[in-house]
Amino acid sequence: MSDPGADAGRLFVDFGARVAETLARLRLARDVRVGSTPRRAVWGDHKTTLYEYLPERRAGAPSTGSASNSAARPKSRPLLVCFALVNRPYILDLQPDSSLIRRLVDAGFTVHLVDWGDPDDGDRLRDLNDYLEQGLGGCVRHILEAHGVEALDLLGVCQGGVLSLCYTALHPRQVANLVTLTTAVDFQTPDDLLSKWVRDLDTELLERAGNVPGELLNALFLSLMPFRLTQQKYVRLLTGRADQRAVEDFVRMERWIFDSPPQAAVALTQFVRWFYQENRLIRGTLELGGRAVDLKSVRAPLLNLYARADHIVPPAACEGLGRYVGSRDYTACAIDTGHIGMYVSRKAREEIPQRIIAWLKARGGELKSRRP
Amino acid sequence: MMEMPFTTGSREADAAFAGAAARFFDLLKAFAAQPSAARGQATDWSSFGSLLAGQFEQWLRSAPAAGASFAAAAGFPGAAPGWPPGAVPLGPAAAHPADAQSAWELLMKLGQLQGELARHWSAIAQDSAQRFIARMPATGGADLSSEGALALYETWVECAEAAYAATVRREDFCRLQAQLTNTAMALLLEQRKQADRLARAWGLPTREEADALQRQIRELRRELGERTAQATPRAPRRRPATQRPKATQGSKPKAAGGGRSRRASRVRRGRR
Repeated sequence: MSDPGADAGRLFVDFGARVAETLARLRLARDVRVGSTPRRAVWGDHKTTLYEYLPERRAGAPSTGSASNSAARPKSRPLLVCFALVNRPYILDLQPDSSLIRRLVDAGFTVHLVDWGDPDDGDRLRDLNDYLEQGLGGCVRHILEAHGVEALDLLGVCQGGVLSLCYTALHPRQVANLVTLTTAVDFQTPDDLLSKWVRDLDTELLERAGNVPGELLNALFLSLMPFRLTQQKYVRLLTGRADQRAVEDFVRMERWIFDSPPQAAVALTQFVRWFYQENRLIRGTLELGGRAVDLKSVRAPLLNLYARADHIVPPAACEGLGRYVGSRDYTACAIDTGHIGMYVSRKAREEIPQRIIAWLKARGGELKSRRP
Repeated sequence: MMEMPFTTGSREADAAFAGAAARFFDLLKAFAAQPSAARGQATDWSSFGSLLAGQFEQWLRSAPAAGASFAAAAGFPGAAPGWPPGAVPLGPAAAHPADAQSAWELLMKLGQLQGELARHWSAIAQDSAQRFIARMPATGGADLSSEGALALYETWVECAEAAYAATVRREDFCRLQAQLTNTAMALLLEQRKQADRLARAWGLPTREEADALQRQIRELRRELGERTAQATPRAPRRRPATQRPKATQGSKPKAAGGGRSRRASRVRRGRR
């Protein structure tokens, strides 16, 4: 018969050793790098930077310009990735074996990414239209000009997907194909906890209070499932006897999760009020820069990928997109993972890039060159 | 120049981990102290449940994530650092009496709402413990092997999250969250009003004045962009830039939909 005292003693010795081992590995993992695919900045405005990712075999070659760089490769329509304002985009290129961007580059796409940068107090009045027209619009115009094409492919991720939908609705001719990843279109579904929590927020006070630090938004996201997201995952790391590589992968994710940029007061306020509180996108009442955003104007082929177990953007918030857009070529696909899993899980490594690549290639067609 | 992106410095990656590990050991201690029962007799889990509930409630009160939502903005326990800032070093007494009254009222309201939140935390903790105990074996103690302890822990997490989710989705909780945040923001703005009054007395620019200047600058930039767009004929297409342009003060893109920015144009000129 077992002795409870001895059992407890063995338990503490065993877990004590595991903690010590994992802590030692964590200390070695302090300086892990995030981001793996070579890239260069090709355009910038205000705090926004547009990056172009380079194919590995040409990464060491002398810089000769984005258009000429892509000239040696099979000609594909440029692809622009638009990430959310509330997180940093390097989650899409976290490490070589978990990089959606690398997979797209390797598949022959000329991939660009919008990095919104960090708004400071001087940006507190920056609004959604500024982000859309000066930021995203500036990137689009630069790419169209540089590649001599009339339209590009746009991949919008999370909140960046919402911006991409708005941009496509306002500039339908500039977007040949649209892919949305974990993108909400209905912000008031019953399972949307975030939406419930901000429903009665006083947005006038929010705007006057100034920029919102990234730490606060991050705490908000973690508070949706606090015990799992701030306790259980660490205990699992501790007890899982993770090797050095697994610990480094974990630290990369940690860095991304806690590395959230601040939010410009006016833009955040508009997003909370117009999207979460008033659900304007699907009610057809959204106006940006004085122009109505009509989702029926989105007529480009549309691939809508969302997660079945998403605690931030519930599947119900995404799955109805097809009803609201004007696209005849519409494909929706629910993936068996969670919100973060869409970017870094095994699914993210395999299924999601495959789906995007196959879908885009099937709609590649002949490029309409504007060059003589 | 080629750039490998996102190379950043080190951070305290193990701090949160160590904290979670410490709490895990606390939980293990609780597991180790679980009630034992003679063979065939029912186990009394009630005191064990109270212990778990107490630990969980303590964590809920102190954890930034749990106390977060926008309510953490209150600058009270669980608040994220830096926003809103703590009370300015004036004290309500230094302000105009009406403002002081308003600040005190907001503080009182915030305290009252925090009390309501604490009641929710307590209810969640009790509910978690009850759910956990309901899943414990009716007789005999829990398995205290490493695997058994981990299974207990996973069960505990499931129960805690289920209890938390059941409460935080309720209308009354959501309203409370919003009230907390709104009150905290109102208090912050009240404090700023007092700080602005002091700044004005010292001849320093106030937040209001800075905002007014920013609005003027935005308007001027917009006008400049529109006029530039009207005055400049569309340039012939050139090869693209390859380097990130250096940030230049005062540069501004054209207005919405109006074409490329001056900064981007400068880069293109530089490549000729």
